[in-house]
Amino acid sequence: MTEYFEVLNRDGAARLGELRLDEPLVTPALLDDVLVDGGSLWTADQPLPEGDTDQLTVLPHRSLPAGTREEVREAFATEAVDAEFPAAAVVSSRSPDDLGVDAYILSDASGFVGHGEGLKYAVIRVKQALPADTALVLSGVATPLNVATLVYAGVDGVDAKLAKVKGSQGKYLTSDDEAFLEDLDELPCACSACQQPREEFTREDCIDHNVAALRAELRRVRERIRAGRLRDYIEGQARHDNWLTAAFREFDSQYSYLETRTPVVRNNELAAATSDSLRRVEIQRFADRVTSRYRNRFDNPLVLVPCSARKPYSDSQSHGQFHDVIAYRGHTVSMTSPIGVVPQELELTYPAQHYDSVVTGRWSEDEKEFVAAVLRRYLDRNDYSRVIAHVPEHGYRDIVERVDADSALDFEYTVEDHPTDTDSLGNLAAALEGELKYGKRERQHNTVKAIADYQFGPDAGDALFGDIEIRTTGRYPKLQVRDGDGEQLATMVPQYGMLAMTLNGADRWVDSHAPTKVVEIDGFVPHGSVLAPGVVDASESIRPGDEVVIRGPKAFGIGRAEMSGPEMAESTRGVASTVRHVRER
Amino acid sequence: MSKPSPEVYEEGRGMDAHNTVMREIRGLKEKQYDPHEPTRVWVDEDNTPDGVYESLTIILNTGGCRWARAGGCTMCGYVAESVEGGTVEHEALMDQIDACLDHEAANTDEPADLIKIYTSGSFLDEREVPAETRRAIAETFGDRERIVLESLPDFVDHEKLTDFTDHGLAVDVAVGLETATDRIRHDCVNKYFDFADFEDACATAKEAGAGVKAYLLMKPPFLSEREARDDMIESIRRCAAVEGCHTVSMNPCNVQQYTMVNELFREGGYRPPWLWSVADVLERTADVEAIVVSDPVGHGSDRGAHNCGECDDRVQKAIKDFDLRQDESVFEQVSCDCERTWDLVIHEETSYAMPLAR
Repeated sequence: MTEYFEVLNRDGAARLGELRLDEPLVTPALLDDVLVDGGSLWTADQPLPEGDTDQLTVLPHRSLPAGTREEVREAFATEAVDAEFPAAAVVSSRSPDDLGVDAYILSDASGFVGHGEGLKYAVIRVKQALPADTALVLSGVATPLNVATLVYAGVDGVDAKLAKVKGSQGKYLTSDDEAFLEDLDELPCACSACQQPREEFTREDCIDHNVAALRAELRRVRERIRAGRLRDYIEGQARHDNWLTAAFREFDSQYSYLETRTPVVRNNELAAATSDSLRRVEIQRFADRVTSRYRNRFDNPLVLVPCSARKPYSDSQSHGQFHDVIAYRGHTVSMTSPIGVVPQELELTYPAQHYDSVVTGRWSEDEKEFVAAVLRRYLDRNDYSRVIAHVPEHGYRDIVERVDADSALDFEYTVEDHPTDTDSLGNLAAALEGELKYGKRERQHNTVKAIADYQFGPDAGDALFGDIEIRTTGRYPKLQVRDGDGEQLATMVPQYGMLAMTLNGADRWVDSHAPTKVVEIDGFVPHGSVLAPGVVDASESIRPGDEVVIRGPKAFGIGRAEMSGPEMAESTRGVASTVRHVRER
Repeated sequence: MSKPSPEVYEEGRGMDAHNTVMREIRGLKEKQYDPHEPTRVWVDEDNTPDGVYESLTIILNTGGCRWARAGGCTMCGYVAESVEGGTVEHEALMDQIDACLDHEAANTDEPADLIKIYTSGSFLDEREVPAETRRAIAETFGDRERIVLESLPDFVDHEKLTDFTDHGLAVDVAVGLETATDRIRHDCVNKYFDFADFEDACATAKEAGAGVKAYLLMKPPFLSEREARDDMIESIRRCAAVEGCHTVSMNPCNVQQYTMVNELFREGGYRPPWLWSVADVLERTADVEAIVVSDPVGHGSDRGAHNCGECDDRVQKAIKDFDLRQDESVFEQVSCDCERTWDLVIHEETSYAMPLAR
């Protein structure tokens, strides 16, 4: 059972945690000052350490180094002991046993740090075997260059051992390089050890610098986690060492490991600046939900338009012009790299209004193929009488033509030169001539239903709001969904384009055919939040940020998940979910 | 052989696992050896209780260690060099001795005073070297001053030793004790006798008028640099305190093909010890009542004891110098920037954070 470690914040697999010692330590962090080794059982029988709440005691261990075969690992496996103090156990990533402690140190880190695939398999094996709320520690492997990626993979604690040793060898470490001191003309760092002439800088200074650089990098990483923007950093920083780039790409290929841990909503920008951005969970998840959950409810022609740099799109000048011409006679869907296609109802939904990509008009083949594939799947799922492609050259047109080629629909192209020039807008107006307008009510109802589809699952919009007379109140984008009696069911949250349910809404959700995400709790009435130990069970499908029903013998409520369903079920510490509304029962 | 202690080894789990793995690893080798040729032979200089002698070292090919065929020691690749099938006949063994004499004649002016015979097993085990052969070899070298015979402690018997002492030879039994710590010898080396058996062998040797040379292994797998160093310091002190044990040869583990150590090494889980550790141990035990020597095999290479690559030859030279003179001041003559790294490794490396430096 985890007692002295708690995960406070998550950014994908990376976590901000707290080692709850007398003097609490925020992780990911250097653990040199708090790790106290209880001794190796290879050399002698070790007494059970007394431990102390001001340190993390490493229980006596038989470390199994990289390359130890299975038979030997099994024969010399360390057994669980009952520790009444903050304790860490040493396990091999090859056979990680749950020993009921707060933290686990991997004995074979030197074997897989440096290999992208090795790191991936090691971390995933360990995370599958050990409770989610325990800390993962790698000793003797961290550098300023690799630590961000280690944390991104799910590591909570490291130490400065290797940085010191490298300093003693005259290896000068930074977050972008490892250089031989002799090869440096200048010291590219502002730490105190580096505030002296290059000639006077010794290996002793190099040790101090390396440790300072590692500390600084960990501060940066922690800040990135708090901001939910570690991935943006990794995509750039990991470029400085090929194995690190390989490592995060390897994790991208383990979609479910990252997807389970990646929040469904965030309030901040997502920088899509590299070809790897396409493989981000947020991007893939949006494309997947738009093409497998969302359904178009308008009868009007589809109007494909290019995205705009300004978000939400409707705030942009170009989309304002499109809007004036379309005038509610077409269903506007924006095409964009890297997120694919964005139906107008989902323009606020994370990450549609949050991503920022680099616009040069140069599309890579990967981008084109990705957007084309999404558009193809989108058109397979949604029926339109007509497709009007109001898109310019430079990528957009190319993509649409690819899809056009294998589609039964006849695409109509309306852009001459630039989509906002007079001729193009005239063509668009002409193409829509005679089409009927949809009303505000239809627009708003379709928007909240579309968001419900996206958020809860295929056909959830109809299951929740279809067979009753709903009403929307408030001014878009702050819409409230009410039932026929005027009771509020949900609110649309403009910051990330999802629905926040009321208790009445939660009742409907539970009674409907829409897939529900439920946190089953013990017999208590939660206020403000549900803590992990109070969770009896949780739907496997819950992701951080998801709307969840909270249900127990004494209470029924609605709130937002802080961790994934599997993590709720496994954890003994931490906030599982916040509670927005609760009712005693 | 003594039995493993019960606590960790219900049903000998540790030993079984090590043996299973070592058998598998050894099964990978394909090369075969001629039973009429010694495994190796060379001429060198050695420090003995009676001074420094020119020596002829013979690695006799006896079919290899029986323990190794069951699995054997985690670092030992010598069994991979033995003949297929196990036993080598008397005539073939004597052919090997002849080949060694030829080598000696070709490489020295006069016969060496000191003969050292190793078998990568036990020369005194009659299943390896029949009594007939043993006596013939005693006869062959009866005119020399001193002879060293490798054996596990179990095979050290009064009569086997008097076969040699009767010729007036000073006899040393070379025992691969590896470490005085039973737990490390069992779990890290996978060698199954106890320090008490070594003490008994020393007593038997002493009674027969022979002496014992203990061979220690610095840094078997699973130990950090510091644990390895401290184990050697303690082991040397304990060996030197045993009556009959007049010499301790403390040798750094090297990475041999077809061993468990090799697998750990290749996956990044093992580094041979630093030459600084060897020097440090010799320096710290210079006061003991025994000759302490070390012969780092493959020094300076990744697979042998090494420092930074700049100073390996100098430190090796100091070690060899110490072997002959037993004067620890030789180590004051060598220094290198990498001593700082070694010192950090000693302080920072743990068995769950190793190797910290290559």
